[in-house]
Parts: sequence; C-alpha cells; structure tokens
Amino acid sequence: MIRFLDEHQYVADEEMVTSLYLLLKLNKPLLLEGPPGVGKTEAALVLSQWLDTRLIRLQCYEGLDINTAVYEWNYQKQLLGIRLQEGSNLTVEEKEKQIFSDEYLLKRPLLSAITETEKPPVLLIDELDRSDEEFEAFLLELLSAFQITIPELGTIKAVQKPYVILTSNRTRELSDALKRRCLYHWIDYPDMDKEMRIVKKRLPDIEQNLLLQVVDHVHQFRQRKLVKTPGVSETIDWAESLMALGFREINKEAIEKTLGSVLKSTEDISLVKTDLVTS
Amino acid sequence: MEKIQAFQTSSLSEGILAFARFARSHGLNIGIQETQDALKAAEQGLLASRSLFKNGLKALFCTSPEEGHLFEKLFILFWDTNPIDLEERKGQTKLQGSVNKKANSSLVMLGVGHTPPGDEEASNVSGANAEERLKKTDLSMLSLLEADELEKIARKLFRQMAIRMRRRMKQHRRQGQINLRRTIRKSISAGGEPIELFHRLNTPKKQRLIVLLDVSGSMDKYSFFLLRFICALRENFRQLEAFVFSTSLKRITRALDTRDLGMVFRNISEHADNWSSGTRIGECLEHFSDSYGKRMLNGSPVVLILSDGLDTGDAELLGTELEKIHRRAKRVVWLNPLKGSTNYAPLAKGMRAALPSVDDFQSAHNLDSLLELENILSNA
Repeated sequence: MIRFLDEHQYVADEEMVTSLYLLLKLNKPLLLEGPPGVGKTEAALVLSQWLDTRLIRLQCYEGLDINTAVYEWNYQKQLLGIRLQEGSNLTVEEKEKQIFSDEYLLKRPLLSAITETEKPPVLLIDELDRSDEEFEAFLLELLSAFQITIPELGTIKAVQKPYVILTSNRTRELSDALKRRCLYHWIDYPDMDKEMRIVKKRLPDIEQNLLLQVVDHVHQFRQRKLVKTPGVSETIDWAESLMALGFREINKEAIEKTLGSVLKSTEDISLVKTDLVTS
Repeated sequence: MEKIQAFQTSSLSEGILAFARFARSHGLNIGIQETQDALKAAEQGLLASRSLFKNGLKALFCTSPEEGHLFEKLFILFWDTNPIDLEERKGQTKLQGSVNKKANSSLVMLGVGHTPPGDEEASNVSGANAEERLKKTDLSMLSLLEADELEKIARKLFRQMAIRMRRRMKQHRRQGQINLRRTIRKSISAGGEPIELFHRLNTPKKQRLIVLLDVSGSMDKYSFFLLRFICALRENFRQLEAFVFSTSLKRITRALDTRDLGMVFRNISEHADNWSSGTRIGECLEHFSDSYGKRMLNGSPVVLILSDGLDTGDAELLGTELEKIHRRAKRVVWLNPLKGSTNYAPLAKGMRAALPSVDDFQSAHNLDSLLELENILSNA
C-alpha cells in the first residue's frame, strides 16, 4: 500500500497507512485532523485512485443544510409534472406518489454515496469543522448505520458501504458523539526529510540545493509566530514558482519576488522581509 | 478495579481487553464499541507487527492529538512493563489523565469570608426592601450572612435572566426565504398552483461567547460571584468557552460542564494553582490567542473580559493583544468591578491601554450591574 501511495505522489508514514488500512478493513469512517495544507484532502483522493472507485466530495460550510448535502426535489420538474397530470384521472394520492418518486429526486453527495451500486465509493466530507453542529448531528446516522431517512421515501440503506473520510482543521472541537464513531488520525507538519520527499515527488526536476533551501526556510517560518503558518502545499507552490522564475538558490531577490506564494498575510511577509534584511 | 498489565494476561485478546480498561482508567474515553473494534482488528490479523498494533489501536482509541500523546505513554507503560521493575515504578507513575487530588478545600479562599462587615455601605443605599438593597450592595462589602442571602437571590435572578434571553431570541424570528419544498407540496391539492407561500424561518444564530475571568488577588472579592454568573450564562450560550487568568491562563470550559456548582468550584480550584496572585493580563491574552485563538476566534464571537485592569505586566502588550482579539471578535465587553465606585476613572496603565479595543466598558460591582449585561449580550 505504501508503494502504491508512493507511486501516486503521496508520502505517508506508517501510522497514516495503518489508519487507512483499518478504514478499509473495519469499514469505520476515518477522521483526519491537522493544520491546513498537510494533505488531508489529498489522502481521500489517493485512496479513491487506489481502490479505482468514485470519489464523492462534500465540502462543508456554515449553513450547509440537508437540501444541499443529502437530497432535494426537482421543483421545476415537479411543477411541470403536476401540470401534465391535470388531464389525467389520477386521484390526489396517486399524483402525490408520482411527484415524489425517484424520477424527481436530485441526489446530493451523501445520498449518491450510499446509493452507489457498483463499487463502494470513497466519500470525502471536507472541513467538517466549518459546518454547524446540527449538521454534525445529522451525520451520526449516516456514519454508524450507513443509512439516510427521507420522509417521502422512507429509509434508504447503503447498497455498498462507502469508505468515509472526514477532515477537519480543528477550528472548533467536533462533538464526542461523532468522534466516537470514527477512527482518528492527526496529521502534523512533516519533518524536513519527509517534506523534501514530498516536494521531490511533486517536482521531480527540482535541484537538490534549491529543494533543501526551500524546505529549510519553510521550517524556519513554521517555528515563528506567524498569522498563517505555511503548509506543505505552500512549500510546493513556492518551490514551483522559484523554478518557474529560474532561480537556482534562495537569495534576497528570490525572496523579494516570490514570498507571496508561501506567506499569505502582509504582516508575515513584512516581518520576514525585515528579518532577512537585518540578518 | 484491579489494574492488570500486559505480562499478567495470557492471550492477545485478553491483553487488549485489559489494555482498554487500563487506558480508560487513565482518562481515555474508550467504550465497548472501541474495544470490540480492536478485537475485530486483531482477529483479522491486522495487528501483526508491534508498530502496526500500536498505530492501529491509536487510531481506534484516540480522538485528539493530546490523547494521542497520552496514548503513547500508556502504551509503553502497559505493554513494556515487566514484573521486575513494577515494584520500583509503583507509586511514582502518575499520568496526566489521573487527577491529582490535592486535598484542596474548595474556594473558601475566595475572600468572601474575611471581609469586614459592610453595613455602612449597604445601609447607605435606600431601598424598598432587603432584597433590593442587597442587589445594589457592592459585592466586596458583603458580610458572610448577606453573601449567603445574595447568592440565593442571584441564583434566582440569573435563572430568570437565562430564560428571558432565550425567549427574546425566539421572538426575534422573522420570515425568511420562501420554503419551496413545502409550498410545492401543499400546492398539489390545488392542482399545482402555489396559492399559499410558506417561508423558511430565519433561526437566530446562536452567539458564541468567550469569557475571560480575572482571578488575581485584587479581584478576590468578586470572582466568586462572577464565576456563578458565568455558570448562569452557560445555560443560554451553547458554545461558551471560559478561562480564568492571573499570572497564567487556564481553560475551565470542561470544568463548567458539571451542573453542580460546588463541583465546578472544586474542579477549578484543582486546575488553577494561581488563585489570588498577581496579574499579567497581556501575557495571558497572548497565550490565549496563540493556543486557542485560531480555534475559538472564528465566526466572530463575543468576548467578555471580567477584570479590574490592575495589570502588573506589560501594558503595551495588553493593548496590542487585545486589539488582535478585537479584530476577530464581534464585540469585546469589559466588565470592571471598580467602575462601580463613583470616583473611578480608568487610569490604571493596563486599563488605559485596553480601552481603545473595548466596545462596552461596564461595571460589575453588584448584582444589578451584572444583570444589565443581559441587554448588551442579547443585542450582540
């Protein structure tokens, strides 16, 4: 498995792989927590590639409700349907039954994940900490029993149990009830060696010297009190932009021009710049 | 319960069971479900090598990075202890999960006790009855007997306040977007003509509240009531985070979870070793934004600071840190018990530095002034 992940440009440590393995074997959802930009979402992507199955992604946000997450009726079609029925001799009950049938149902990510028939898909519920607590509570039924209840249709059970990966940036504490239904893995910023391997994977053409300098600098940035600590994706972006501009090592000019791709706040940028000038 | 360790068990599954029990007794939240999953994993041969075993159990048993660290320790302690060193280790291993029960008395030290009887102050206030009078009495001037009485009144009034705030929130609801789903459903009987429009209710946002309570020496006489006040607030702010600070900052949200107030006090005094010491507000606020800011200051919460602003630390730091918080909070409310006295002016260095970033600067010296906070909070 590690080898596969490796081939797909994902460098994972043993702990991570064990968690993924347990996810497959025990069929329990996996909750990945960690700072932004350490590859939580990427893990789900790679897993779906490995299993050669569909990835269904639900991006959470504040105010996310059941209509956008689970299902919605196709109102326009329903209205037309009602119009078309006008001439027929159906009773009201029959009409209602027809209007609320599968045909008029719009499947949103969660519903389409459990009605997938061919292969168990990978369901990614991204940045769950952004959603409201109410939505979190709603997920409980799905995560433990893999079923969803729709009032008009009844309870729908998963045909193929999806592999669920949840991610969170820990901007708020998730409820204990949810955590107990999941496997848990904390992804932290990688160490120098691992980060170099990751960048190398993504940018095979990078020169060793530049790579070392980039990763070293990013690690120094992380030590400091910055408003936004750069993640691995920022490291990759930075290395990429340095290469695109043809820099072969990090010097004053390089930093001047490209710092914006690794530090994302003016305070941070000016702080680092003044430090570099004085040193 | 007798705690067994790995060498005392005869099979792997028995070992896992014992380990689950061991970890639970040290504060990890492991139920039957988790244990079953662990056994199931073991059955499938998942836990073949040692590191696989450890990582697997870690994924199953832990729910936060802090628990992860605890787990690492417990794992080594449980599986690697052999009978020979056990004798030495006994009694000296104390893990973070197990509560260190210092026979600390609860908060008698809060200063409610050793106050000179404050009849003077109290009788100066002309009130219709004793209750009214007590409500206006400065909290620091209470005698022990009156404190008891006031506590009873406070409990009643705080509860009323909590109910009132909830009710007001409900009345604020207005009609929102059209609820298409219901409109269509009801229109079927009219042949698809949407005659009646249904609206979606705009549910009021539950405001998040962060409370920072100063428990330094100068606040001694007030902290007890203020803490009770925080408990009352907890009932209608579902997401309330509470901290106490003096020279250092402690999170007490978990301790407030218990309903019983006596328990709350005992819990907090166990956590906080810095009651009634000096104050370094700036550093505490810095600590707050560093370790909790990212997590708690999103979605613009209301930040409530209960302190007298008598700072022994760096006033400039206090100013910049509070400004940082102010930028991300919806409102910063500062309650200062000293403001109650008529000749008070915010001259203290710390207080002056803080004021530019404070939206509401209120007094908190008696019960009435605390109850006034209701208006500020429900408008926020």
